[in-house]
Amino acid sequence: MTMNGISIAEFYEKMKTQLQLTLVAGKNGLGRMIKWPEINRPGLALAGYFDYFPWRRVQILGKVEVTYLRSLSSGVLRARIREMLSKKGVPCIMITRRYRVPQELIEEADGLDVPVFRSPLVTVDLIDRTTVFLDDIFAPTISLKGNLVEVFGVGVFMEGKSGVGKSETALGLLARGHRLITDDVVRIKLREGKYLIGSGSELTRHHLEIRGLGIINIQKLFGAVSFREESQIDLAITLEIWDPNKDYDRLGIEEDTIRILGQPVPHLIIPVRWGRDMVLMLETAALNHRLKASGFNPAQALDEELINSMRRK
Amino acid sequence: MGLHLRPARMLANLTNKFDSDVFITKDSEEVNGKSIMGIITLAAAKGAILKVTAVGPDAPEAVNAVGKLIENKFGEED
Repeated sequence: MTMNGISIAEFYEKMKTQLQLTLVAGKNGLGRMIKWPEINRPGLALAGYFDYFPWRRVQILGKVEVTYLRSLSSGVLRARIREMLSKKGVPCIMITRRYRVPQELIEEADGLDVPVFRSPLVTVDLIDRTTVFLDDIFAPTISLKGNLVEVFGVGVFMEGKSGVGKSETALGLLARGHRLITDDVVRIKLREGKYLIGSGSELTRHHLEIRGLGIINIQKLFGAVSFREESQIDLAITLEIWDPNKDYDRLGIEEDTIRILGQPVPHLIIPVRWGRDMVLMLETAALNHRLKASGFNPAQALDEELINSMRRK
Repeated sequence: MGLHLRPARMLANLTNKFDSDVFITKDSEEVNGKSIMGIITLAAAKGAILKVTAVGPDAPEAVNAVGKLIENKFGEED
Protein backbone atom coordinates (compact mmCIF):
# COMPACT_ATOMS: atom_id res chain seq x y z
CA MET A 1 0.00 0.00 0.00
CA THR A 2 2.85 2.37 0.74
CA MET A 3 4.54 4.05 -2.18
CA ASN A 4 8.01 2.93 -3.07
CA GLY A 5 9.23 6.46 -3.03
CA ILE A 6 9.54 9.53 -5.14
CA SER A 7 12.29 10.53 -7.53
CA ILE A 8 14.32 13.67 -6.88
CA ALA A 9 13.10 15.04 -10.21
CA GLU A 10 9.49 14.74 -9.07
CA PHE A 11 10.29 16.10 -5.62
CA TYR A 12 12.03 19.08 -7.22
CA GLU A 13 9.14 19.65 -9.61
CA LYS A 14 6.54 19.60 -6.84
CA MET A 15 8.47 21.47 -4.13
CA LYS A 16 10.59 23.90 -6.16
CA THR A 17 8.23 26.82 -5.52
CA GLN A 18 7.33 26.07 -1.95
CA LEU A 19 10.92 25.47 -0.82
CA GLN A 20 12.34 28.01 -3.30
CA LEU A 21 14.88 25.46 -4.48
CA THR A 22 17.73 26.03 -6.91
CA LEU A 23 19.60 23.04 -8.26
CA VAL A 24 23.30 23.85 -7.89
CA ALA A 25 24.98 20.51 -8.59
CA GLY A 26 24.46 16.86 -9.45
CA LYS A 27 21.80 17.35 -12.11
CA ASN A 28 22.55 13.91 -13.56
CA GLY A 29 21.34 12.39 -10.29
CA LEU A 30 17.72 13.59 -10.55
CA GLY A 31 16.66 9.99 -11.11
CA ARG A 32 17.70 9.10 -7.55
CA MET A 33 14.86 8.05 -5.27
CA ILE A 34 13.72 9.25 -1.87
CA LYS A 35 12.61 6.03 -0.21
CA TRP A 36 12.32 7.25 3.37
CA PRO A 37 10.04 9.94 4.75
CA GLU A 38 12.53 11.33 7.30
CA ILE A 39 15.29 13.86 6.89
CA ASN A 40 18.77 13.94 8.43
CA ARG A 41 21.26 16.62 9.42
CA PRO A 42 24.59 14.92 8.80
CA GLY A 43 26.69 16.75 11.40
CA LEU A 44 28.39 13.64 12.77
CA ALA A 45 29.08 12.25 9.31
CA LEU A 46 30.74 15.47 8.26
CA ALA A 47 32.86 15.21 11.41
CA GLY A 48 34.03 11.80 10.18
CA TYR A 49 31.71 9.47 12.11
CA PHE A 50 29.86 7.33 9.57
CA ASP A 51 28.60 4.42 11.70
CA TYR A 52 24.84 4.20 11.40
CA PHE A 53 24.83 7.14 9.01
CA PRO A 54 21.21 7.24 7.74
CA TRP A 55 22.11 7.54 4.07
CA ARG A 56 18.59 6.80 2.86
CA ARG A 57 17.35 10.14 4.10
CA VAL A 58 17.32 13.56 2.53
CA GLN A 59 20.37 15.32 3.99
CA ILE A 60 19.94 18.90 5.13
CA LEU A 61 22.85 21.25 5.79
CA GLY A 62 21.97 24.22 8.01
CA LYS A 63 23.96 26.81 9.89
CA VAL A 64 25.86 24.32 12.09
CA GLU A 65 26.92 22.04 9.24
CA VAL A 66 27.91 24.84 6.87
CA THR A 67 29.90 26.69 9.55
CA TYR A 68 31.64 23.48 10.49
CA LEU A 69 32.52 22.68 6.87
CA ARG A 70 34.06 26.13 6.53
CA SER A 71 36.38 25.39 9.43
CA LEU A 72 37.86 22.36 7.64
CA SER A 73 40.83 22.38 5.28
CA SER A 74 39.89 21.87 1.65
CA GLY A 75 41.39 18.37 1.56
CA VAL A 76 39.53 17.10 4.65
CA LEU A 77 36.31 18.76 3.53
CA ARG A 78 36.51 17.07 0.14
CA ALA A 79 37.26 13.66 1.67
CA ARG A 80 34.34 13.83 4.12
CA ILE A 81 31.90 14.95 1.47
CA ARG A 82 33.09 12.27 -0.90
CA GLU A 83 32.62 9.60 1.75
CA MET A 84 29.15 10.87 2.58
CA LEU A 85 28.03 11.08 -1.04
CA SER A 86 29.53 7.70 -1.92
CA LYS A 87 26.95 5.91 0.20
CA LYS A 88 25.01 4.50 -2.70
CA GLY A 89 21.51 5.70 -1.90
CA VAL A 90 21.92 9.25 -0.59
CA PRO A 91 18.92 10.90 -2.26
CA CYS A 92 19.94 14.58 -2.24
CA ILE A 93 21.46 17.41 -0.24
CA MET A 94 19.64 20.62 0.64
CA ILE A 95 21.42 23.71 1.92
CA THR A 96 19.38 26.30 3.81
CA ARG A 97 19.58 30.06 4.40
CA ARG A 98 21.01 30.81 0.99
CA TYR A 99 24.49 29.70 2.19
CA ARG A 100 27.21 29.69 -0.41
CA VAL A 101 27.87 26.09 -1.39
CA PRO A 102 31.51 25.03 -0.94
CA GLN A 103 33.21 24.43 -4.30
CA GLU A 104 34.38 21.01 -3.09
CA LEU A 105 30.76 19.96 -2.49
CA ILE A 106 29.69 21.11 -5.96
CA GLU A 107 32.52 19.19 -7.62
CA GLU A 108 32.03 15.98 -5.65
CA ALA A 109 28.24 16.08 -6.14
CA ASP A 110 28.69 16.59 -9.89
CA GLY A 111 31.19 13.74 -9.98
CA LEU A 112 28.98 11.33 -8.03
CA ASP A 113 25.65 12.57 -9.47
CA VAL A 114 24.05 13.56 -6.18
CA PRO A 115 21.66 16.51 -6.59
CA VAL A 116 22.40 19.51 -4.36
CA PHE A 117 19.74 22.18 -3.79
CA ARG A 118 19.97 25.58 -2.24
CA SER A 119 17.09 27.31 -0.48
CA PRO A 120 16.70 30.74 1.17
CA LEU A 121 14.49 29.23 3.91
CA VAL A 122 15.74 28.86 7.48
CA THR A 123 16.49 25.27 8.45
CA VAL A 124 13.41 24.73 10.65
CA ASP A 125 11.05 25.85 7.88
CA LEU A 126 12.74 23.74 5.26
CA ILE A 127 12.63 20.66 7.50
CA ASP A 128 8.98 21.25 8.42
CA ARG A 129 7.77 21.65 4.88
CA THR A 130 9.84 18.76 3.57
CA THR A 131 8.62 16.47 6.34
CA VAL A 132 4.96 17.36 5.79
CA PHE A 133 5.33 16.72 2.06
CA LEU A 134 7.16 13.42 2.49
CA ASP A 135 4.76 12.21 5.20
CA ASP A 136 1.95 12.67 2.74
CA ILE A 137 3.82 10.87 -0.04
CA PHE A 138 4.57 7.91 2.19
CA ALA A 139 1.20 7.77 3.95
CA PRO A 140 -0.65 4.44 3.59
CA THR A 141 -3.36 4.69 0.94
CA ILE A 142 -6.22 2.64 -0.39
CA SER A 143 -8.82 3.10 -3.14
CA LEU A 144 -12.39 2.15 -2.32
CA LYS A 145 -15.49 2.10 -4.47
CA GLY A 146 -18.10 4.58 -3.36
CA ASN A 147 -18.42 8.29 -3.12
CA LEU A 148 -17.41 10.96 -0.67
CA VAL A 149 -19.61 13.89 0.24
CA GLU A 150 -19.37 16.57 2.87
CA VAL A 151 -22.69 17.06 4.62
CA PHE A 152 -22.94 19.79 7.25
CA GLY A 153 -19.17 19.56 7.62
CA VAL A 154 -19.25 15.78 8.17
CA GLY A 155 -17.25 13.75 5.65
CA VAL A 156 -19.49 10.84 4.63
CA PHE A 157 -18.14 7.89 2.69
CA MET A 158 -21.10 6.31 0.91
CA GLU A 159 -20.84 2.79 -0.43
CA GLY A 160 -23.24 0.22 -1.78
CA LYS A 161 -23.98 -1.91 -4.79
CA SER A 162 -24.07 -0.40 -8.23
CA GLY A 163 -27.49 1.03 -8.98
CA VAL A 164 -28.58 1.48 -5.36
CA GLY A 165 -28.64 5.25 -5.81
CA LYS A 166 -25.32 6.60 -4.49
CA SER A 167 -24.79 9.09 -7.29
CA GLU A 168 -28.43 10.21 -7.22
CA THR A 169 -28.16 10.77 -3.47
CA ALA A 170 -24.95 12.73 -3.98
CA LEU A 171 -26.71 14.83 -6.62
CA GLY A 172 -29.57 15.55 -4.23
CA LEU A 173 -27.09 16.60 -1.54
CA LEU A 174 -25.33 18.93 -3.99
CA ALA A 175 -28.62 20.57 -4.87
CA ARG A 176 -29.12 21.25 -1.17
CA GLY A 177 -25.77 23.02 -0.86
CA HIS A 178 -23.58 20.17 0.35
CA ARG A 179 -20.35 19.26 -1.35
CA LEU A 180 -19.04 16.43 -3.45
CA ILE A 181 -15.45 15.31 -3.14
CA THR A 182 -15.60 12.34 -5.46
CA ASP A 183 -18.00 9.92 -7.07
CA ASP A 184 -17.32 6.25 -7.76
CA VAL A 185 -13.73 5.91 -6.52
CA VAL A 186 -12.35 7.36 -3.29
CA ARG A 187 -8.62 7.50 -2.72
CA ILE A 188 -8.05 7.38 0.98
CA LYS A 189 -4.86 8.35 2.75
CA LEU A 190 -4.01 7.87 6.39
CA ARG A 191 -2.51 11.17 7.46
CA GLU A 192 -0.42 11.47 10.63
CA GLY A 193 -1.33 7.89 11.41
CA LYS A 194 -4.92 8.75 12.39
CA TYR A 195 -6.82 10.99 9.97
CA LEU A 196 -8.48 9.38 6.97
CA ILE A 197 -8.44 11.84 4.10
CA GLY A 198 -10.36 11.04 0.93
CA SER A 199 -10.03 12.57 -2.51
CA GLY A 200 -10.84 11.75 -6.09
CA SER A 201 -9.01 11.53 -9.35
CA GLU A 202 -8.12 14.88 -10.90
CA LEU A 203 -9.73 13.92 -14.18
CA THR A 204 -13.18 12.92 -13.00
CA ARG A 205 -13.69 14.80 -9.77
CA HIS A 206 -16.10 17.40 -11.13
CA HIS A 207 -18.30 14.79 -12.71
CA LEU A 208 -21.20 12.61 -11.77
CA GLU A 209 -22.70 9.83 -13.83
CA ILE A 210 -26.44 9.71 -13.44
CA ARG A 211 -28.40 7.01 -15.20
CA GLY A 212 -30.70 8.54 -17.74
CA LEU A 213 -28.91 11.89 -17.67
CA GLY A 214 -25.40 10.76 -18.51
CA ILE A 215 -22.31 12.52 -17.27
CA ILE A 216 -22.90 15.90 -15.71
CA ASN A 217 -20.37 18.50 -14.65
CA ILE A 218 -21.28 19.51 -11.13
CA GLN A 219 -18.95 22.46 -10.96
CA LYS A 220 -20.58 24.02 -14.01
CA LEU A 221 -24.08 23.18 -12.77
CA PHE A 222 -23.76 24.07 -9.10
CA GLY A 223 -20.74 26.36 -8.96
CA ALA A 224 -17.43 26.23 -7.14
CA VAL A 225 -19.10 25.91 -3.73
CA SER A 226 -20.35 22.44 -4.64
CA PHE A 227 -16.93 20.95 -4.69
CA ARG A 228 -13.98 20.19 -2.39
CA GLU A 229 -10.70 18.60 -3.29
CA GLU A 230 -10.46 16.45 -0.20
CA SER A 231 -12.21 15.80 3.07
CA GLN A 232 -11.72 13.83 6.22
CA ILE A 233 -13.85 10.68 6.48
CA ASP A 234 -15.97 10.85 9.64
CA LEU A 235 -18.79 8.45 8.85
CA ALA A 236 -19.32 5.47 6.54
CA ILE A 237 -22.78 4.71 5.20
CA THR A 238 -23.78 1.60 3.27
CA LEU A 239 -26.87 1.96 1.13
CA GLU A 240 -28.66 -1.26 0.33
CA ILE A 241 -31.99 -2.32 -1.11
CA TRP A 242 -34.34 -2.98 1.78
CA ASP A 243 -34.20 -6.64 2.75
CA PRO A 244 -37.43 -7.54 4.60
CA ASN A 245 -35.71 -10.46 6.33
CA LYS A 246 -32.97 -8.36 7.82
CA ASP A 247 -33.10 -6.58 11.17
CA TYR A 248 -31.85 -3.06 10.62
CA ASP A 249 -30.61 -0.91 13.44
CA ARG A 250 -33.69 0.65 14.95
CA LEU A 251 -32.16 2.28 18.00
CA GLY A 252 -28.66 3.52 17.35
CA ILE A 253 -27.48 2.78 20.89
CA GLU A 254 -24.62 0.53 19.86
CA GLU A 255 -22.20 1.94 17.37
CA ASP A 256 -21.11 -0.21 14.47
CA THR A 257 -17.73 0.56 12.94
CA ILE A 258 -15.78 -0.51 9.89
CA ARG A 259 -12.02 -0.25 9.55
CA ILE A 260 -10.31 1.70 6.80
CA LEU A 261 -6.52 1.48 6.78
CA GLY A 262 -6.80 0.14 10.31
CA GLN A 263 -8.76 3.12 11.62
CA PRO A 264 -12.27 2.60 13.01
CA VAL A 265 -15.00 4.62 11.26
CA PRO A 266 -18.59 4.78 12.60
CA HIS A 267 -20.81 2.89 10.18
CA LEU A 268 -24.52 2.85 9.37
CA ILE A 269 -26.46 0.61 7.01
CA ILE A 270 -29.37 2.54 5.53
CA PRO A 271 -31.95 0.52 3.63
CA VAL A 272 -33.27 2.12 0.47
CA ARG A 273 -36.97 1.82 -0.23
CA TRP A 274 -39.49 3.68 -2.31
CA GLY A 275 -40.67 6.67 -0.33
CA ARG A 276 -37.52 7.10 1.72
CA ASP A 277 -35.87 10.40 0.93
CA MET A 278 -32.20 9.39 0.86
CA VAL A 279 -30.96 12.98 0.80
CA LEU A 280 -32.84 13.68 4.01
CA MET A 281 -31.54 10.39 5.44
CA LEU A 282 -27.96 11.39 4.76
CA GLU A 283 -28.46 14.90 6.16
CA THR A 284 -30.02 13.50 9.31
CA ALA A 285 -27.31 10.86 9.66
CA ALA A 286 -24.65 13.57 9.42
CA LEU A 287 -26.36 15.80 12.00
CA ASN A 288 -26.92 12.85 14.32
CA HIS A 289 -23.25 11.93 13.96
CA ARG A 290 -22.30 15.43 15.10
CA LEU A 291 -24.68 15.17 18.01
CA LYS A 292 -23.23 11.82 19.07
CA ALA A 293 -19.69 13.14 18.64
CA SER A 294 -20.59 15.91 21.06
CA GLY A 295 -21.49 13.22 23.62
CA PHE A 296 -25.28 13.03 23.25
CA ASN A 297 -26.79 9.72 22.17
CA PRO A 298 -30.52 10.26 21.64
CA ALA A 299 -31.45 6.59 22.05
CA GLN A 300 -29.37 6.29 25.22
CA ALA A 301 -30.98 9.42 26.66
CA LEU A 302 -34.49 8.17 25.86
CA ASP A 303 -33.68 4.79 27.41
CA GLU A 304 -32.52 6.44 30.62
CA GLU A 305 -35.68 8.52 30.81
CA LEU A 306 -37.78 5.44 30.19
CA ILE A 307 -36.03 3.43 32.89
CA ASN A 308 -36.45 6.28 35.35
CA SER A 309 -40.16 6.55 34.61
CA MET A 310 -40.59 2.79 35.15
CA ARG A 311 -38.81 3.05 38.50
CA ARG A 312 -41.12 5.79 39.68
CA LYS A 313 -44.15 3.56 39.19
CA MET B 1 -36.08 -3.93 34.65
CA GLY B 2 -39.00 -3.84 32.23
CA LEU B 3 -39.65 -3.01 28.60
CA HIS B 4 -36.93 -0.49 27.99
CA LEU B 5 -35.37 0.19 24.61
CA ARG B 6 -33.37 -3.00 24.01
CA PRO B 7 -36.15 -5.46 24.96
CA ALA B 8 -38.62 -3.30 23.02
CA ARG B 9 -36.42 -3.71 19.99
CA MET B 10 -36.34 -7.51 20.45
CA LEU B 11 -40.09 -7.56 20.71
CA ALA B 12 -40.60 -5.37 17.62
CA ASN B 13 -38.08 -7.35 15.57
CA LEU B 14 -39.97 -10.52 16.47
CA THR B 15 -43.48 -9.20 15.72
CA ASN B 16 -42.34 -7.75 12.39
CA LYS B 17 -41.60 -11.26 11.18
CA PHE B 18 -45.33 -12.04 11.18
CA ASP B 19 -47.91 -10.94 8.65
CA SER B 20 -50.54 -10.41 11.32
CA ASP B 21 -50.99 -7.12 13.14
CA VAL B 22 -49.89 -7.45 16.73
CA PHE B 23 -51.12 -5.34 19.63
CA ILE B 24 -49.84 -5.04 23.16
CA THR B 25 -52.13 -3.79 25.86
CA LYS B 26 -51.28 -2.60 29.34
CA ASP B 27 -54.08 -1.43 31.62
CA SER B 28 -56.36 0.16 29.06
CA GLU B 29 -53.64 1.35 26.70
CA GLU B 30 -53.19 -0.54 23.45
CA VAL B 31 -50.18 -0.01 21.19
CA ASN B 32 -48.86 -1.35 17.90
CA GLY B 33 -46.66 -4.32 18.79
CA LYS B 34 -44.50 -3.77 15.71
CA SER B 35 -43.48 -0.26 16.72
CA ILE B 36 -40.62 0.32 19.14
CA MET B 37 -41.90 3.79 19.92
CA GLY B 38 -45.34 2.36 20.58
CA ILE B 39 -44.05 -0.36 22.89
CA ILE B 40 -41.98 1.95 25.05
CA THR B 41 -44.94 4.29 25.51
CA LEU B 42 -46.33 1.60 27.80
CA ALA B 43 -43.35 2.08 30.16
CA ALA B 44 -44.03 -1.48 31.32
CA ALA B 45 -41.94 -2.13 34.41
CA LYS B 46 -40.95 -5.60 35.60
CA GLY B 47 -44.05 -7.41 36.84
CA ALA B 48 -46.49 -5.43 34.68
CA ILE B 49 -49.32 -7.44 33.14
CA LEU B 50 -49.50 -7.27 29.33
CA LYS B 51 -52.11 -8.57 26.98
CA VAL B 52 -50.99 -9.68 23.55
CA THR B 53 -53.45 -9.88 20.68
CA ALA B 54 -52.98 -10.53 17.02
CA VAL B 55 -55.18 -10.28 13.96
CA GLY B 56 -54.25 -12.02 10.72
CA PRO B 57 -53.32 -15.28 9.02
CA ASP B 58 -50.56 -16.24 11.51
CA ALA B 59 -52.12 -14.69 14.61
CA PRO B 60 -51.78 -17.73 16.94
CA GLU B 61 -48.10 -18.18 16.04
CA ALA B 62 -47.43 -14.50 16.63
CA VAL B 63 -49.02 -14.51 20.06
CA ASN B 64 -47.17 -17.71 21.00
CA ALA B 65 -43.85 -16.32 19.87
CA VAL B 66 -44.31 -13.15 21.93
CA GLY B 67 -45.33 -15.27 24.91
CA LYS B 68 -42.13 -17.33 24.58
CA LEU B 69 -39.97 -14.22 24.37
CA ILE B 70 -41.50 -12.88 27.56
CA GLU B 71 -41.27 -16.29 29.31
CA ASN B 72 -37.60 -16.44 28.40
CA LYS B 73 -37.17 -12.99 29.92
CA PHE B 74 -35.99 -11.60 26.60
CA GLY B 75 -32.99 -13.93 26.45
CA GLU B 76 -29.90 -12.40 27.95
CA GLU B 77 -31.22 -8.88 28.04
CA ASP B 78 -33.18 -7.12 30.78
